[in-house]
Parts: sequence; C-alpha cells; structure tokens
Amino acid sequence: MQREEITEKLKEILLLTDVDRSLMEGDISALRLKEDCGLSSVGMLYTVIGIEEMFGIRFENVGLEDFVTVKDVIDYIGAKTE
Amino acid sequence: MKNEKSGRDAGGAKRDPLFSFRYLIYDIMILTAAIPGMLWFRPKRIFAGGKKPDLSGGLLIIANHIGFFDPVYLMMLFPGRRIRFVCRKEFWATKHSAFWFRSFLTIPIDRDNFGMESFREITERLKAGSAVALFPEGHIDTEGDPIGSFKSGMVLMALRSGAPVLPVLLTKRKNIFERLTAVIGDPVELDTGGALPPLSKVTELSEMLKDEERSLAGFLPEKLKNRL
Repeated sequence: MQREEITEKLKEILLLTDVDRSLMEGDISALRLKEDCGLSSVGMLYTVIGIEEMFGIRFENVGLEDFVTVKDVIDYIGAKTE
Repeated sequence: MKNEKSGRDAGGAKRDPLFSFRYLIYDIMILTAAIPGMLWFRPKRIFAGGKKPDLSGGLLIIANHIGFFDPVYLMMLFPGRRIRFVCRKEFWATKHSAFWFRSFLTIPIDRDNFGMESFREITERLKAGSAVALFPEGHIDTEGDPIGSFKSGMVLMALRSGAPVLPVLLTKRKNIFERLTAVIGDPVELDTGGALPPLSKVTELSEMLKDEERSLAGFLPEKLKNRL
C-alpha cells in the first residue's frame, strides 16, 4: 500500500479521536502522538483498533507506547501491508 | 454458531469447555473454598432490577475497587461461573507467580505499555461466553472518592466483543464477621451498530457506566451507604 494512501486513512482515524483538525492538514508524519495529537492511553488503544479494522492488520508483539510519532505508525502499517 | 470440532465459535473465539485440566486448580479451589467462604462471608446480593438478571453468556463485570480481596468477593457473588480477572502483568513477574495467576485464569495487562494481545484475549473470551471482570478505576481507591474516574478501555472491550457490561457495587465490611453485601445492576448493552464510534462517544459511554455504578449505592441499606 502506498504511503500516501496509508497517511490519508490514518488521518480519518485520528480525526475520530478529537485531534485538532488543523493538525491534520499537510504532512502529519512528524507529529508526536501524545504531545501533539493529544492521544491518551485510551486514545492510542482506540487508534490501533481503528487501524486494525481499516487496514485488516494485527498489531503483534508491540506495545502502544512503542509508537512515538505518526511516522512510526505509518512505517508499521507499511511493513504489515507490504 | 459453534464449531464442535475446533472448539471455536463462528467468530473464531475460543470456548470454555465444561471441564479441562487447564481449569483444574481453579475449579478445585472454588469447590473447596466455596462452602467455608460462603458460610463466613454469607454474601448478600441486592439486585437493582428487583430480581436476578440473566447473567449467562459473555459478561464484562465492572466493580469498584475497595480492597485486595475484591476478586474473591466477586467470585463469591457469582458462584458457578469462572471469572477471568484482568490484572497487572507485574503479578506474573516470576515463574511461580505466573503459574498461580494463570491457574486462576487472570489475564495480564501491561499498564505502562498496553499490547493488543491482552485486548484480543479479553474480547475473544467475552465473545466465547466467558465472564471477564475488571476494576475500571484501575487501582484500589485510596483517595476517598468512593468511585473515581473510569478508564474508557473497558468500553472498547465491550463494544468489540458485543458483551454486556454488568456494574457491581461492593461495600466494605466493618469487621471480619460482617456479611459481604453488594449491589448487582442490570447488564448494560453498549450497541453502537458495529462501527467504531468517535472517541468522544466512547468517553461518554464510560461516564454513563460510572453514573450507573454510582446509582447502585441508592439500593444499599442506609447503614451501608458510607461503606464504599
């Protein structure tokens, strides 16, 4: 799956978490999930569930705290959907 | 729909058999402790709905956390059901403790770095018809607030498993000879039509469950209302 496609789908999920909409314009890869997007631990769990269902993948052998930036998530999804 | 050969239901979830060596220690413990435990604690269940609700099938039991023995109290309130408790993974730290906590059917979670394996195990167990219990405050109440803020993760567990949530209100015993009294609410279905609702809705549902839990105090006898 193309990186751009992953990013756009990820934006849809993040918007459901009440993240500031203005943050979702342009390149989001450098955004930090907790500090910039304001995701709590439940927000992280919610995001991962959304990703698993949207992309049809499973997060395995990783903890939610292993993802610091949006780029980390995009890289993980990219590797899983190759 | 169940697949008898695979022991899994149509959704792929593992089913609890009536007997399994995996449950041997748990079942022996329940059988041997049930009679003295029931005689000592004489658990008194107050049903908020006036009568015992249907407690069969997958059930996510949530309760206020007032002490270390709350899991034991819950087990006595629901005799005849194997209850899987969600507990912090630190309890599984050594081989010895892991053996016992596995035997007691606990599901470990990493509170510092939550993994999806724990989430999947909980939802699979619920889908398979098991009862899973957790304390949504996440810790034993030490701040004086009878029911503190709830962690919303349990709402996601209920939504993704389709299991109803059963609120239970435990009360503190004044002394070791006093009866154990608890209020059992009606199971709450959290149906959002299958799709993952916005996170704000998840938070809203979590608050609703907390209000539901708080409202159970109204069913307690006057002398127990300050024992939360």
